[in-house]
Amino acid sequence: MTTLAIQPAFALTTGLLVLLLLGLLFWPQKGLLAIWSVGKANAQRVLLEDALKFLFDSEYKGIPIRLNGFAGYLHISTDKAARLVESLRSIGLVQFQEDMLKLTDAGRSYALRIIRVHRIWERYLADETGVANKEWHGRADLKEHSMSLEAADLLAAQIGNPVFDPHGDPIPSSRGELPAYTGKPLSALKEGELGRIVHIEDEPGAIYAQILALGLYPGMQIYIMDVSEDRIQFAANGEECVLTPLFASNITVESLKEREPLKEKYAALSTLKLGETAEIQAISPSCRGQQRRRLMDLGIVPGTLIHTAFASAAGDPVAYQVMGATVAIRRSQANLIFIKPSSNTKV
Amino acid sequence: MENPNKPSHDALLSLANNLRWDLGVNLHDAVIESIYEDASRIARNAVHKEGDPATYTLERRIDQLVTSRWLGFPMMFLMLALVFWLTVAGANVPSGLLANVLVDALHPLLKNAAGSVGMPWWLSGVLIDGAYLSMAWVISVMLPPMAIFFPLFTLLEDLGYLPRVAFNMDSLFRKAGAHGKQALTLSMGFGCNAAGVIAARVIDSPRERLIAIITNNFSLCNGRWPTQILIATIFIGGAAPSYLAGVVSAGAVVGIAVLGIGFSLAVSWALSQTVLKGEASAFSLELPPYRPPRIWQTLYTSLVDRTLFVLWRAVVFAVPAGVVIWLVANLHMGELSLAEHFIYWANPLALVFGLNGVILLAYIIAIPANEIVIPTVLMLTVVSAGMTGEGAGAGVMFELESIEDTAQILQAGGWTLLTGINLMLFSLLHNPCSTTIYTIYKETKSLKWTAVATFLPIVLGLAVCFFVTQFWYLFQGG
Amino acid sequence: MNASHNCENCPVHHRENLIRLGIAMDRVDYVVALAGNPNTGKSTVFNNLTGLRQHTGNWPGKTVVRAEGGFSYREKRYKVVDLPGTYSLLSTSTDEEVARDFILFGRPDVTVIVVDATRLERNLNLTLQILEITDRAVLCLNLMDEARRHRMEVDTRTLSRELGIPVIPAAARQKEGMDELIAAIEEVASGTFVCKPHRTTNRSAKINHAIQVLSEKLAQQFPGLPNLNWVALRLLEGDQSIINAVQSGELGQLETGILQP
Repeated sequence: MTTLAIQPAFALTTGLLVLLLLGLLFWPQKGLLAIWSVGKANAQRVLLEDALKFLFDSEYKGIPIRLNGFAGYLHISTDKAARLVESLRSIGLVQFQEDMLKLTDAGRSYALRIIRVHRIWERYLADETGVANKEWHGRADLKEHSMSLEAADLLAAQIGNPVFDPHGDPIPSSRGELPAYTGKPLSALKEGELGRIVHIEDEPGAIYAQILALGLYPGMQIYIMDVSEDRIQFAANGEECVLTPLFASNITVESLKEREPLKEKYAALSTLKLGETAEIQAISPSCRGQQRRRLMDLGIVPGTLIHTAFASAAGDPVAYQVMGATVAIRRSQANLIFIKPSSNTKV
Repeated sequence: MENPNKPSHDALLSLANNLRWDLGVNLHDAVIESIYEDASRIARNAVHKEGDPATYTLERRIDQLVTSRWLGFPMMFLMLALVFWLTVAGANVPSGLLANVLVDALHPLLKNAAGSVGMPWWLSGVLIDGAYLSMAWVISVMLPPMAIFFPLFTLLEDLGYLPRVAFNMDSLFRKAGAHGKQALTLSMGFGCNAAGVIAARVIDSPRERLIAIITNNFSLCNGRWPTQILIATIFIGGAAPSYLAGVVSAGAVVGIAVLGIGFSLAVSWALSQTVLKGEASAFSLELPPYRPPRIWQTLYTSLVDRTLFVLWRAVVFAVPAGVVIWLVANLHMGELSLAEHFIYWANPLALVFGLNGVILLAYIIAIPANEIVIPTVLMLTVVSAGMTGEGAGAGVMFELESIEDTAQILQAGGWTLLTGINLMLFSLLHNPCSTTIYTIYKETKSLKWTAVATFLPIVLGLAVCFFVTQFWYLFQGG
Repeated sequence: MNASHNCENCPVHHRENLIRLGIAMDRVDYVVALAGNPNTGKSTVFNNLTGLRQHTGNWPGKTVVRAEGGFSYREKRYKVVDLPGTYSLLSTSTDEEVARDFILFGRPDVTVIVVDATRLERNLNLTLQILEITDRAVLCLNLMDEARRHRMEVDTRTLSRELGIPVIPAAARQKEGMDELIAAIEEVASGTFVCKPHRTTNRSAKINHAIQVLSEKLAQQFPGLPNLNWVALRLLEGDQSIINAVQSGELGQLETGILQP
């Protein structure tokens, strides 16, 4: 042991360097290995597919598209856009009708395939992973160009063949069917009209983030209170909100003929004190997928009584008495369960 | 049944798909709610309840006590400490007894019998010194603690106490990005990592389950306790004044176990922040009512379901390992055996980590079971140091009755206090045994995660040993 | 196919599917599936019926290895299969799929649903889901001793009338009610007791309409399917194993020849 060849100080430095190198190589997402494995997506194909998607979306919503608007949306010069359209036309995916851009049947089915992959992936991220809602769209935008339709079908089968993405948009079927477009922008509703949010556009990201921050989500009932040139005042599930017409146009609604019974104002289950009882009103839509189903299996469904039984030694999670059973959930989950006070104390 | 007009299957599915778009996003909720509505109506009609009965109150009292802010944690630690103490203390005698019968008495008997029927030396070496002996060792070290630990654990589980432990521990594990039930798989891992990995089935969210599986190896399983106790007694106890030796060496072993829990939490946190960042995470746990356990059934079933199951898997893996151990010590290339070649080649490398070639080789060929690491180390030390008069020959694993004799052999093999410390660290931080690796693969069905769970601890272990050693040299001045 | 055309007390289980699900089917007259929530004493009932010792802890997901056993009663041999304890059959976990596929495709002669009498409402969630799939079931109202201690009374006749299946109060730990349970299993298996299982009808008009449209088409394609509405609802929820069964035509093999009213 006395005849050590290496100086400890030298060895320590080398050791640290090796650790650093390993970290650099294997660090998830940012490591060299991760970067290499992602590889380079085919930029031309990505652009082409984005163009088809945009054209399809415009057609679906009945918005006519000229070359200028096309270039603007894709953030490319009109020259480049013209060349892109030309190459799309040469492979028979788009055509000009007068000066309007139109998809051919082949182009439409290509676009539907991309959209299907995109929306399935978004739904997968929302239901089965812990990825934050602001990241869904960006990740799906990358995935749609690399995932095959077969792989998307397999994934869809695993997650219960969803027909809506988490923003409320229908997912095209594997046969390329899509229901007719029924929505209109929130900004098109008039004072006193009723509607229900069916979709919140996730682009541009800054507007999407602000809409999310207001707590708006698909399924909410909208009542327009006041419309002026620069602001729309409305109630979403009874909660008053104000948006500019630009922001409001990013929210798609369907008209409602009559007011549906609205649930009263919510309090979160986490606010219920020990020994108190309340009636469950709803589970927040942001509690999704397996987690939502599991809560319902355990008896946490609207209309049941829930009683705060006891807290764990550290205060969180808390055990609740529901349908005769004792169920423990974390505070973060209890925040997503809405209650109204109940005079009935028997659980 | 053949009807030419029947719509095709595809048309049917297409119709279903189109109908789903009309039904909107909340179909599943609506379906479940309508079932519960019926359930609630039927239950109201059929069940008559008279007030809050006393038993409910009693149960609630117990729950409030078990989960109370001041008593909850101390009660839990006492309970678990009692279980571990019973296991370690209670297993000593039967382990010794089994070793007496299987190793000391039966092994020479078998050797003699083999000699008298004229079995060639190499065959009896492979079969009896290799395969049989490693099996005997695994059984005598593994069976008694597991036969005590698992029934005790199952009793606590049947009683309804363990779910409360998960409930109390969740806040700590949540901060590490893990699930409260990991407290249970971690505790189970102190009995056996393979059993701990299987127990992770009770965690229903995929991310937390994977974390529990990968980090289970940081629980010091009962195959590693004897190694820790022996080395701590020889090197750490030996370095302390004699009146403190017992306390210091016991403290060192507990310290290693606590370090393991620390690594478990730290690695859980690191995994949840990096590789497993996007995986879904959820927590929901039903706390079942307390029910008196059925002792005899528990004893019977935990022996059959857990102990024998795990033991069988361990034996299946240990037998070929015994063969390999015997072969590396007896197959010669030139003057030296394969084992010696490796040991001399690996020595300089191992010294950088404060270990030696014997330890590295022992951990490679004793992957199947941590139980045979010490016997293998002793055998290899004797072989490589060319000692005579110790042990039972090349390839025959052995242990010594007296700790002093063991210490002498190790010190003759060049071991120091630093080697002892590093062996204790490496015994905590190295790859899981092959039984556990196989179990991890069966549970995760993923080569990738099995590889992570296998290599992550080795890398950590080597890194820790390296830094401890080099700092040691730095401060001791080489 | 071994469906019970023109046969009152023949077994109805689907032999080929059961064998494919890994059940040894030699010398078996009737197949009994045991389903229930976790913590209801299901494995105690199983042990009492079959004499086997089988351990399942206080956790869902424990019985991953499906346990099998058997008993004889009135010269008939019964095979008992212990399904994983689940809270639901609709949440798409592996356990739930195992249990659901066994009841749907294996078509056991009797499904015994073990429920905790003190938590009846929550347990009825699973019970009602099972009754949507099969019309041959017995409810084992277990833990009656605990219910008595909690001064709860369960009106088994009302419950039986509501659910349309025999309801047997039991306390499996004390071996109470086991003879009655076996007798009820025999009555349902032999067709002496004809179940009229509860089927949920209180769904919204929109859902009911969709179910109706779809089950009409299903009926054309798979006449005689005993649980049309349930299959239709599963298709509306995008259940992949039902979609597969439609595509492969496997669903057709489950026809019993008895048309639902």
